[in-house]
Amino acid sequence: MPKKKQPTLRRANTNRTHSRTPQEDSKSARQQRTYTLADYRLEKPSFELRQVRVGDTVRYEVSGNLSGPAPPIRDSKYLRKQQCIEIYRWMLLNRKMEAALENLYKQGKVVGGVYFGLGQAACSCASAYALRPDEWLGPLIRNQGSLLVRGFSASDILMQYMAKAGSPTNGRDASSHFGDIQNRNVVAPISTLGDLIPVLAGVALGARLQGRNIAVMTYIGDGGQSTGVTYEGLNFAAVQNLGLVLFVENNLWGYSTPADMQFCVKDLAERAIAYGIPGIIVDGTDPCQVYDAAHEACQRARRGEGPTLIEAKMMRMKGHAIHDAAEYVPKALFEYWKKRDPIARFEDYLVRQKKWLTNQENEKLIGAVESELEVQREIAVASPMPAPESAAGGAYCETPCHEIRPKYAMPKCRIKKSLSLKQKETAVHLK
Amino acid sequence: MPALTYLEAIRQGIWEEMERDPTVFCIGEDIGIYGGAFKVTDGFIDHFGPERVIDTPIAESAIVGAAFGASLTGMRPVAEFQFMDFIGCAFNQITNMVAKAHYRWGAPAPLVIRGPSGGNVHGGPFHSQNPEMYFVHTPGLKVVCPATAYDAKGLIKAAIRDNNPVIFFEHKYLYRRIKEDVPEEDFLVPLGRARLAREGQDLSIITYAAMVHVAMEAAELLTKEGLELEVLDLRTLSPIDREAIANTVRKTNKVMVLHEDVRTGGIAGEISAIINEEAFDSLDGPIVRLAALDTPVPFSPPQEEYFLPKVVDVVREARKLAAY
Repeated sequence: MPKKKQPTLRRANTNRTHSRTPQEDSKSARQQRTYTLADYRLEKPSFELRQVRVGDTVRYEVSGNLSGPAPPIRDSKYLRKQQCIEIYRWMLLNRKMEAALENLYKQGKVVGGVYFGLGQAACSCASAYALRPDEWLGPLIRNQGSLLVRGFSASDILMQYMAKAGSPTNGRDASSHFGDIQNRNVVAPISTLGDLIPVLAGVALGARLQGRNIAVMTYIGDGGQSTGVTYEGLNFAAVQNLGLVLFVENNLWGYSTPADMQFCVKDLAERAIAYGIPGIIVDGTDPCQVYDAAHEACQRARRGEGPTLIEAKMMRMKGHAIHDAAEYVPKALFEYWKKRDPIARFEDYLVRQKKWLTNQENEKLIGAVESELEVQREIAVASPMPAPESAAGGAYCETPCHEIRPKYAMPKCRIKKSLSLKQKETAVHLK
Repeated sequence: MPALTYLEAIRQGIWEEMERDPTVFCIGEDIGIYGGAFKVTDGFIDHFGPERVIDTPIAESAIVGAAFGASLTGMRPVAEFQFMDFIGCAFNQITNMVAKAHYRWGAPAPLVIRGPSGGNVHGGPFHSQNPEMYFVHTPGLKVVCPATAYDAKGLIKAAIRDNNPVIFFEHKYLYRRIKEDVPEEDFLVPLGRARLAREGQDLSIITYAAMVHVAMEAAELLTKEGLELEVLDLRTLSPIDREAIANTVRKTNKVMVLHEDVRTGGIAGEISAIINEEAFDSLDGPIVRLAALDTPVPFSPPQEEYFLPKVVDVVREARKLAAY
């Protein structure tokens, strides 16, 4: 792609008596605009979905090369052995927690729907792993692995689905719809998509006003990125040069609608070009690629260089929620992505390729995750349902329920004391 | 004590809060060097710096989302909407993300969303609306609609210090038309308390914002006919001052509810229900509702005048109610 020379806005800086404004700080970032997309993948899937009429019915058909072998895991530039094993453990816990959830659902112990991140554990866990404890994350419905990495327990998630009194929202909301502004720095998502993007940008803005450049991370899907607020939020972060790391999880399906019916670009990472920010493509089933891209984006954020868009390509390996058998998905696609299962491939990488885990150590690790989960499951099952009257109250923060104070530091104010509040009579819109 | 316009009072209130508390900052469209479409933040960027007076893209959902995100880190953002008519663009952020945060996950959202609302300035359907009731209907939000310069200053300061999201509807017709002595020292007007703008014993008008002045004018005219009207200025629509509403009904036994918002679904319906619940036995006549037409706000001056409740309408309806 040819690099276009961008006209730069020149600002008069003679007689500069003030410090640099955020606008001036972002100027250098603007000049580093990227028109190429980094692509960390070792395999570039090539297939196409179409709506076709077969007899009396219309359905999706896939065409292209679906027979290739699964790609290897790409060696990380940053992760050491122990960190890889930790991420692998989070991925195992993510999957086994969801399996436990499915069983609880079948036993009639879950209220409402269940959302799975099957096929997406590498993206959830390895991305969140790149954040520091004092940085922030806003998960989507399938990022239950991210919540575990941020320090919530499996029982927290199980209790959310079971609408228990002990759940983080005390039964008031479901699924991954919970957060923590005190310790884990997680913003609770809402059901509509894209809305977390400006919110996480605002978290970075708040931190910057308190003197800190932090990384803030959130996610959007191939379906969710169609919303207007996605544009508003990411554009705002770009203009304000805020440290947002946006994972665009392209899992090929927005409920039952294929990605091909959500957008026209070849890769969603191309969107980054239009925002004037770096865009990266990773294989979302490869935790090392996910981590490396996330880590580099977080480092950029911490240096005050603004947002990064990372497209992670993978497939949602279940229906939209547990009620949805995903019969609209061509079988060949499931088979193709099943061979690219993130956990099986990472296990193979750690045990057989790198030999960082012996078979015995691996079995021990799996056993430890399973027994931890059993304990968590019991805690969740034992938690009572909330008292009916606990539905009332709490819509407002009434003193002294929360003390509002700056999270990082009291902002340093540079007030020009010489100026007073003097009203000028000026032309105004609609007198 | 200097005489301040309604607009200057709001401006002074925000200015004082920003000087007092470093966590307060402003965010919105054209609020920096330009000073805002109505000049409420005129001079702020020079005094407080561009870090705390942030010009944004034309993106209302991003403004509210970013304000909310910053509030999660302990900041107190004051987000300006250029016109409150545009608040629909951020409806989801306000009603789903912000308003439900404390109830769902215990996250307080100490932010203010403020901007000009209301008609009578020939702004047409998209620069004249009164969209307050969408937010009165949403638990978790507070809704403020000041009518005087004194209240505007005291209420904006209280709104900024409140730990909840507050939607602050400034009436653009009042911005430069009313002026009164406002103390220079720090004072607050508590949210959720109505103000008795005028005492009387024959009939009560319950109203807010620019219509308070319409009610006052009508009351002065009716004095000549021997009718003493009481005028209750609600000041805050959510939480609403049920006690003040019940008290005035118990005193005068006859009530007119007056608002500039459209008739159907306006606060008059809610107030009628509150009176029914709190003071039904005190009523000596039907509750009269006087409000704008159930149409969008028309542009052309004769049409807009017809659309809005006027002093003559209040006088006519008050006479009828007094004679009931």
